[in-house]
Amino acid sequence: MTLQQPALPATAVATRPARRRDRARLYQEIGMLMPAVALLTIFLVVPFLLSFWTAMTNQPLVPRPTPVRFIGLTNFLRVFKDDLFWTSLWNVSRFTFWILPVQCGLAFASALLLHQKLPLRNFFRGLFFLPAITSMVVVCVIWGTLFQYPTGPFNQVIGFLSGGRIQPIDWLGDPDWAMFSIVLLSAWQAYGFQMIVYLAGLQGIPDELYDAARIDGANAFQRFWHVTMPGLRPTHVFVLVITTIQAFKLYTQVAILTQGGPRSSTETVVHYMVRAGFEEQKLGYASAVSVILFLIVLVIALVQRQLLRRFDV
Amino acid sequence: MSDLAIPTLQSEAQRERSAIGSLRLVQTACILVIALVIVSPLFMLLIASLKDDRFQILADMGSFRAFWVSNPTLSNFAEVSNLSGELAFGRYLLNSLFILGCTVGAGLIVNSMAGFVLAWGTLRGRAVVLSLVIALYVIPQESIIMPLVIMMSRAGMTDTFAVQIVPWIASPLYIFLFYQFFAQLPKELFEAAEMDGASVFRIYRSIFLPLSLPALATVSILMGIESWNQYLWPTLVTQTDHARPIAVAIATFFGQDSIYWDRAMAASVLMMIPILALYLAFQRWFVSSFVGSAVKG
Repeated sequence: MTLQQPALPATAVATRPARRRDRARLYQEIGMLMPAVALLTIFLVVPFLLSFWTAMTNQPLVPRPTPVRFIGLTNFLRVFKDDLFWTSLWNVSRFTFWILPVQCGLAFASALLLHQKLPLRNFFRGLFFLPAITSMVVVCVIWGTLFQYPTGPFNQVIGFLSGGRIQPIDWLGDPDWAMFSIVLLSAWQAYGFQMIVYLAGLQGIPDELYDAARIDGANAFQRFWHVTMPGLRPTHVFVLVITTIQAFKLYTQVAILTQGGPRSSTETVVHYMVRAGFEEQKLGYASAVSVILFLIVLVIALVQRQLLRRFDV
Repeated sequence: MSDLAIPTLQSEAQRERSAIGSLRLVQTACILVIALVIVSPLFMLLIASLKDDRFQILADMGSFRAFWVSNPTLSNFAEVSNLSGELAFGRYLLNSLFILGCTVGAGLIVNSMAGFVLAWGTLRGRAVVLSLVIALYVIPQESIIMPLVIMMSRAGMTDTFAVQIVPWIASPLYIFLFYQFFAQLPKELFEAAEMDGASVFRIYRSIFLPLSLPALATVSILMGIESWNQYLWPTLVTQTDHARPIAVAIATFFGQDSIYWDRAMAASVLMMIPILALYLAFQRWFVSSFVGSAVKG
């Protein structure tokens, strides 16, 4: 969501309010707001603040008799000294680099197609969204079979098309291919959301602009380049930012299919964090990673704000 | 001869129409190709779940037999939909359904009430609360999960249903979606009801809530998908089968040396059905209101 605030609606100002009714109304409003505020505080704000504190302690997962010590930024320094952390950061960057064109490009193309007045377009909209509601675990079951080495469907098809010249690829077992395989299945799974967002953006462009362009003699390509693309600028920013943030949080596919391997080629920041916290039981250390993850996401979100401001939307 | 004559015979409009016609053809072809890419893996899953021989499933993949089953059987489903036993996915399915129902049900009430007060309330500091809610949206679930696990285990809540429901009821995103939806409704609605002496809660429940079907549908679908597909959190907070959701149970297939693909497929199909039903039930409202609220360019 771009999180632009619509102006607060002016609430009716009662001219002769009875005091008691005012107070009753106030209590009711507080009562209606409280559950959300309380839940957000306990389950979002408190753990968020705790993560900063925990990151600066030597807290283990299982309580020990020795007291937890404050160790300042030591955890962060350790994280930065760990090559595996940098590998994980590099890997999610690679993942982002691939997923942005593949997923967003496919979503954009599908949205453009389904924006046309073609028969059955609502049916196809629903159909293209199917993978997005499919659990990542189920997606892994499906794609796990597709990726089978050496006789899986993908390898069969490639072997057939190349007349057997291209050797079977070990999609998930080859360090050169594993991350790209994760990209493919992730793009397939999540692109429906982006497509719907693009459809929304396309519907937001007024028809008059197209009519005007047509009267000026603009051909289809010119209309696309000078009307559609500028009209979609905020949508592009939104989709690219959301996809980037999602990419940096990559976890489930990797945890199920490759466990970060082979040879750390699919290790991701979140997977690294979970392993540090729950396998190596170093909670303080893992919290430091989680704080770094938050800072990365924050920077991406701030960049989005700046971009949107520049585009004057 | 006649080939050369055609262009001159065709009027401008005719030529444009045939150009549009061939463009349509190309577009339709593209859509069908994408549809094939999107659907065939899901179709293969469905077909494979109807096959009895678990060694044959992988052998069939990569040939047309992946899309065909000569003697379909529901035995895999019978096997995995048990409520007790080694592969009792029926049990996990019910767990997941219960978690989904509670999360979405409570989430609709809690988030819509908050969104309503933020849109129409008179509370001082309302704008501040709204900006805080929006700011909280930036915090990713992944970066609070470590301390949250500790909090929950200190509170003795691990391995319960509550630990999988309560933390995810309130959400900045859904509060904001409801706020946005309520705020765009005309203020006359509120004023007229207030004039009649209705209380804030009454106005919310009897007037605004019934009008917010699109928002309720959107949030139901988004929350439902989110709850249904949770994986990281339940793996961290469930230790036994007691409250374990189906996603975690299916994932355990991958830990085994020889994967029972036939059962994994059947369990996966089972896992798709409820969320698909939810999606189909609300799809009409979902698309329109998502389109309305997602990106206000």
